[in-house]
Amino acid sequence: MDKPIITGNTMIIPSNQEFLADVDVFLEGVLRGYGIDESRVADIAISVSELVNNAIHHAHHKDTKKTISIKINRDKENVIINISDQGTGFNPEDINDPLAEENLLKDTGRGLFIVKSLMDKVDFEITDQGTSVTITKSIK
Amino acid sequence: MNLTDREQDGVVIIEPKGKIMGGPDASLLHDKLYEFIEQNKKKVIIDLSRVDWMNSTGLGILISGYTTLRNNDGELKLANVTEKIQSLLTITKLVTVFEAYDSIDDAIKSFH
Repeated sequence: MDKPIITGNTMIIPSNQEFLADVDVFLEGVLRGYGIDESRVADIAISVSELVNNAIHHAHHKDTKKTISIKINRDKENVIINISDQGTGFNPEDINDPLAEENLLKDTGRGLFIVKSLMDKVDFEITDQGTSVTITKSIK
Repeated sequence: MNLTDREQDGVVIIEPKGKIMGGPDASLLHDKLYEFIEQNKKKVIIDLSRVDWMNSTGLGILISGYTTLRNNDGELKLANVTEKIQSLLTITKLVTVFEAYDSIDDAIKSFH
């Protein structure tokens, strides 16, 4: 696979940062179609970019043969987005506190913290086949 | 994202535009920042007025530039921080790290 594939509200991309902007265009297009306000669109877009970056760097270790899927759903009150990779998984509890004095000037390590701050709910499912993260944001 | 840069009163002003999310766009800001540092230009303002949003990659570039300049007797300051980026700086406590000004003129004056 060498380019993104879109089927309905699902996009699958090769695990490559080159496609981050494509994910953003796809995502923001779907969210605006739902009539979501711009501030929430930005919060969701930031969060998805963090999770796709994590998959590329930490789950797949820049192996561009692997793929990442982004599935967007909604119900009456929420947007629910699932980001799945094919990596080896990780323990979300093992992440250092980015607010600790000794970590404040580090240039990495804030991605998941930002996602948890911006989203209403973040669920992880980690299996031998990869990590699946589902984020939920209220749209009411 | 794309960016322009200029110099005013001995201060470098970098003006990124768009979204800073990682990949080639983020490298552009990182490379431009380090280009000035290598030229020994140590007073730098990043004008964020035209940045829609950034993620932790963008914050990491700002911090990397800030610490590199500080370690070389320079300074990186922010100007025209948008509401969305201000919110990210607040939740990550980076608001306590960066000096931020409401205009380029105020930021330039702070260097003199």
